Amino acid sequence: MRASSLLSESLAVLGKELTSELRSRVALNAIGLFGITTLVVVAYQIGPYQIQEKDRPHLLSALLWVILFFAATSGLARVFVKEEDAHTAKTLRLAARPLAVFAGKYLFNLILLVALFTLIVPLYCALMGYEVRGLVGLVLVLAAGAVALAASSTIVAAIISRASGSTTLFAILSVPLVLPLLVMLIQGTRAAAGSVELAAVLPALQGIVSLGGALLIVSVFLFPVVWHE
Amino acid sequence: MSDNRVRTALHWLLGAWLVLVIAAAFFWAPAAAGFKGESSRIVFFHVPQAWVAVLAFCVNLIASLRYLRTRNPLDDARAAAAARLGLVFSLLATVTGSIFAHVMWNSFWNWDPREISIAILLLIYAAYFALREAVPDEERRASLSAAYAILAFVTMPFLVFVVPRIYWSLHPDTIIGATGKLKMQMDPRMLQTLFASLVGFTGLFFWLYTLDVRLARVRLARQAREEA
Repeated sequence: MRASSLLSESLAVLGKELTSELRSRVALNAIGLFGITTLVVVAYQIGPYQIQEKDRPHLLSALLWVILFFAATSGLARVFVKEEDAHTAKTLRLAARPLAVFAGKYLFNLILLVALFTLIVPLYCALMGYEVRGLVGLVLVLAAGAVALAASSTIVAAIISRASGSTTLFAILSVPLVLPLLVMLIQGTRAAAGSVELAAVLPALQGIVSLGGALLIVSVFLFPVVWHE
Repeated sequence: MSDNRVRTALHWLLGAWLVLVIAAAFFWAPAAAGFKGESSRIVFFHVPQAWVAVLAFCVNLIASLRYLRTRNPLDDARAAAAARLGLVFSLLATVTGSIFAHVMWNSFWNWDPREISIAILLLIYAAYFALREAVPDEERRASLSAAYAILAFVTMPFLVFVVPRIYWSLHPDTIIGATGKLKMQMDPRMLQTLFASLVGFTGLFFWLYTLDVRLARVRLARQAREEA
């Protein structure tokens, strides 16, 4: 298998995903609106002054990831379900190798997550009065989190697209897989908010990168089984 | 001696062993110091149940990997049997852990990292069966659930070793401590009873697992006869 042709196939799948998403904007609307609606509810009901100073580090980092994760869940499952709904999955199987399909869909989910984080995190900091001292640390945690969440979401989306009752199954299958990841992401975000030192974020970051890397590698190996079944 | 006789002898041996373990847990091993009343005796049942829940997870992984290699429906039945028992034993471990937590800390659930670990394990098993229920086609069901089982196994080391190290835990020290070294600071009689119980529960798991797999073998043979 030539690496350059695999790369071009992956980019072609990514291009197809981006074009079809920009045409319909279903996933973008779902993720963006879900994120903003949840943020508005949280900010309106809790806001920057309802939480006591000693509880702020724990609660604000946990609330941020609750908003980000559930907003992401509302849109990331579509990446394979839409192929089954539109009966285009068979064509895609013929047109591209499994690894290229996985890479294209994974990159698309990664872009969606980066867009969601770019939209929600600054708004959250502004509306909730969340002061982040270690900006570099937070960016690293968010980047590692996006890579790991995109990996788990893409493979689970592929699994559920082959089952009935797909939309509800996505949350059921995803939550147990990403709970350890979310625990480490919340821990990392809290550490980044409280300290400018990068060393404060490192323990959580190591965990996130290890779990994200492991999920990504295993997903790459499992995808052909799921895709061709 | 025929296979059936060996099997019957092993069943009697397992039954007698478990009766001895129960007797030793209540009458031979002393209650541990630093715990309320006799509450520490639950360790002889709680720890083996948690061990079997993890063991079932490993057996499920091996059977899932075998299925993806061989495409033999019996391997899928093996994976499902291990997951079924894993679900039961993780439920039992959760219940016995909660009883101990209530006696020691006056609360059934404390969101302790170890409690979260076993709760996530339960969720994984539940999700595995939710997925199986959602796929009517047998071959597709077997492949997808095998893929999910392998994926779920990746999170296991993080649940068992990483997350409990990040958060402070009320849970008594595990046999393998935070440094990764074996901790054997129990009374020798407690330790002997605990290891005997681990052996007994492992035997119980494999007996129930074998029964489930034999049933699946009969079901698959009948299915093959009907199709022929």
